[in-house]
Amino acid sequence: MDVMGNIVYPIAGLLGLYGFVSLASLLWEGIDRKLVARMQRRVGPPLIQPFYDFLKLMSKETIVPNTANYMFRIAPVLALATAIALLAYTPMGFTPILASKGDVIVFIYLLALISFFKIVGAISSGSPYAKIGAAREATIMVSREPAMMLAIFAIMWRLGKLGVDKPFSMGIFYQHNIWEIGTPMSFVGAIILLYVFCVWLASEIEVGFFNIPDAEEEIAEGLLVEYSGRYLALLKLTKALKAYIAASLVVAIFFPWGIAGYFGLTGLSADVVNLLFHTLKVFILLFVVGSVFRAVTGRLKITQAVDFLWKNVFLASLVGSLLLAMEVIM
Amino acid sequence: MNGHEILPYLIIIPLFGAFSMPIVNLLGRKAREAWAVIISGATLAVGSALFYYVWGNKSIIVYTLGAKSPLGQGVSFPIRIVWEVDLFGAIMVLMVTLVAFLAVVYSIGYMKHDTGLDKYYTLILILELGMLGIAITGDLFNFYVFLEIMSIASYALVAFRNDTWEGIEAGIKYMFVGSIASSFILLGIALLYGQYGTLTMSYLAVKLAQNPTVTAKVALALFIAGLLFKSGASPVHMWLADAHPAAPSSISAMLSGLVIKIGGIYALTRILFSIYGHSVSMKTVGWVIIIFACITLIVGNAMAVIQNDMKRLLAYSSVGQIGYILLGLGIGLAAYGSQTGEIAMAGAIYHTFNHALMKALLFLIAGVVIHQLGTRDLNELSGLAKTMPKTTFAFLIGAAAIIGMPPLNGFASKWLIYESSAVFNPILGAIAIIGTAFCTAAYVKVLYTFFGRPNERVMKARDPEGSMLWPIIILAVAIVVMGLFPWQISDKVMIPAVKSLENQLAYISAVLGGA
Repeated sequence: MDVMGNIVYPIAGLLGLYGFVSLASLLWEGIDRKLVARMQRRVGPPLIQPFYDFLKLMSKETIVPNTANYMFRIAPVLALATAIALLAYTPMGFTPILASKGDVIVFIYLLALISFFKIVGAISSGSPYAKIGAAREATIMVSREPAMMLAIFAIMWRLGKLGVDKPFSMGIFYQHNIWEIGTPMSFVGAIILLYVFCVWLASEIEVGFFNIPDAEEEIAEGLLVEYSGRYLALLKLTKALKAYIAASLVVAIFFPWGIAGYFGLTGLSADVVNLLFHTLKVFILLFVVGSVFRAVTGRLKITQAVDFLWKNVFLASLVGSLLLAMEVIM
Repeated sequence: MNGHEILPYLIIIPLFGAFSMPIVNLLGRKAREAWAVIISGATLAVGSALFYYVWGNKSIIVYTLGAKSPLGQGVSFPIRIVWEVDLFGAIMVLMVTLVAFLAVVYSIGYMKHDTGLDKYYTLILILELGMLGIAITGDLFNFYVFLEIMSIASYALVAFRNDTWEGIEAGIKYMFVGSIASSFILLGIALLYGQYGTLTMSYLAVKLAQNPTVTAKVALALFIAGLLFKSGASPVHMWLADAHPAAPSSISAMLSGLVIKIGGIYALTRILFSIYGHSVSMKTVGWVIIIFACITLIVGNAMAVIQNDMKRLLAYSSVGQIGYILLGLGIGLAAYGSQTGEIAMAGAIYHTFNHALMKALLFLIAGVVIHQLGTRDLNELSGLAKTMPKTTFAFLIGAAAIIGMPPLNGFASKWLIYESSAVFNPILGAIAIIGTAFCTAAYVKVLYTFFGRPNERVMKARDPEGSMLWPIIILAVAIVVMGLFPWQISDKVMIPAVKSLENQLAYISAVLGGA
């Protein structure tokens, strides 16, 4: 077996990506806070404020409630570990490190697993506030994922028809993209799906309408109410990573173009340039879906959010997928 | 080491253990427990050796009772009882001996406070014996005898705690229903014997192929009806939902992990593939099974969601999982000979084995909870993770595996079934997914309870003693390890098992070879 090719390089790549994405996603959080502050005519914190926050949290005393069980302590670690593992399957300007046939399911599974670990950790604290937050998180999760799954499977199936070597792989977006199909119907379908994915992204990172599970004012920080110190730092980092990863998915589906080709780069340097360009696109997307949405709207009630996700977003996903699939089916 | 030489010990050892138990019992409690562990451990050793032999040699073992050759002198047909073990049978043997051994070890701690334990250990060994007999036999009437041995032992064990009302109620229900089911099977055997004059499975297959009659079809209908009863398929699953909660948990683990699969799924598969083979329309039979499978899937899993009793929830979940296995079996029949059918059948066999491990684990954990807390009402078990961390962690593994989460063994087997059902007929795939959604809801509900705020009752609980904890740990480790090599196991064990099952000619000629 090729030890270097199969084990060493992927691990090195994963570690490199982990380092880069941690920095980039925390930096984005700083930019986001600054931009929202500017929109509200405030000065805002310095750009690297999230790094200070992270270090401060890491150095603080960690308090574990006496009603908590072992999952309270394990869950933040598992959530972060899942997020790191997910990086190996995330398209970030180039084909993911562990791309293989059918890995879209791994991607969806790991993304949901992060939320699951957060929920288990919150329940394990024994606090009723955390339990309410967890119930809300679970409700939102169940409502938001079907729309995304339907859309992503429809897109991957449609792109698979154009001829790819690994169907249903996250690398597929760098071989064909959704705009390439070219027919008017598919174009309209793609626009509708872009809307679906933007709402999905907003609900995944819980901003604007969907800032419900945390809901500082109503239920005292909800999900994370009992977490402090190191564990809170890990969960905040996980949240930042997840925002980057979820946005990466949307960028990869709808805006996969790289710029390395224009500079005639190949190999590692091309990947690095594409990664930087990808990060720029992620930031732009997060600005539109995250910062602006967060600044201009408040949250919905949980029932309204569920209604919205099923009656509006899922329906849109259905229509978009059908339009996209139409000329193949007919 | 030769498969033919060790095969009889699979019956001899548990039979000897069971019959000598009343005498060993005179030496006291320690001797009785040690004897039960030694006997089931020795059976496990023989079972593993047998599996290794059959798997390694890729052969079918034929053992004739009383003579060298199954054929009579001067006649060209088998006149003796034969045992015939192909890879599918060997997998079942391994599964039975493994789970039975762990259940016996677990019983040492779990049954400590009960009386009449010499009878308990005798019955548990007889139960194991009956299941092993079903897995290895190649004779139809011999199959019936072993089926009854297994069934009667399980009636007695369900009602073992006869000072509780629910044990008696469940035992009576199970006995009445089970006896009717057994009589269906006996009637089917009688019809076949009257028509074809032989009881050897492989020779019967030849006769059937030569002369398919209406009688054979009536017999088949009776077999399917009887065996669906035994496997707890949906319209006739009501005994199961009472029997599994009422039995002692070590027995629930064996009932749910083994009995419904050996007495139901395995027997059904064996009769359909090895006896009826090409004599009836596989497509029709396959669709009959598929219809029951779909009902079972939905009813079992949906009923699991609304239970408040932990063991009842697990029992309904067993019904639901039987639905998956039946779906794999049904598609394996309806798409006989195609790649899809092969994958579906491999998924069914794989899931049978996996589910035996997972459900045994979950029932053993339920037993620990009952033993430590004296309740199985989920509303009273809030926050168990605080005081019983190891047990609840094992439950987390078992629940994740049964839902089919990727790094665990349930994923690969369910995946094979999903994949083949989606290829065969997308509607069936959708039904399978709906079943899983219900199953997930049921187990998440339990986890939500276990990891919640500890209530007063729970604060006094502790993790159990070693003899109860180790079987749980072994099963959890097995689930994780099997989950790491899903496709290797599937390719090296399950697919060859399906191939040997579909190769009816090899099954027949292994017995009639000399003729």
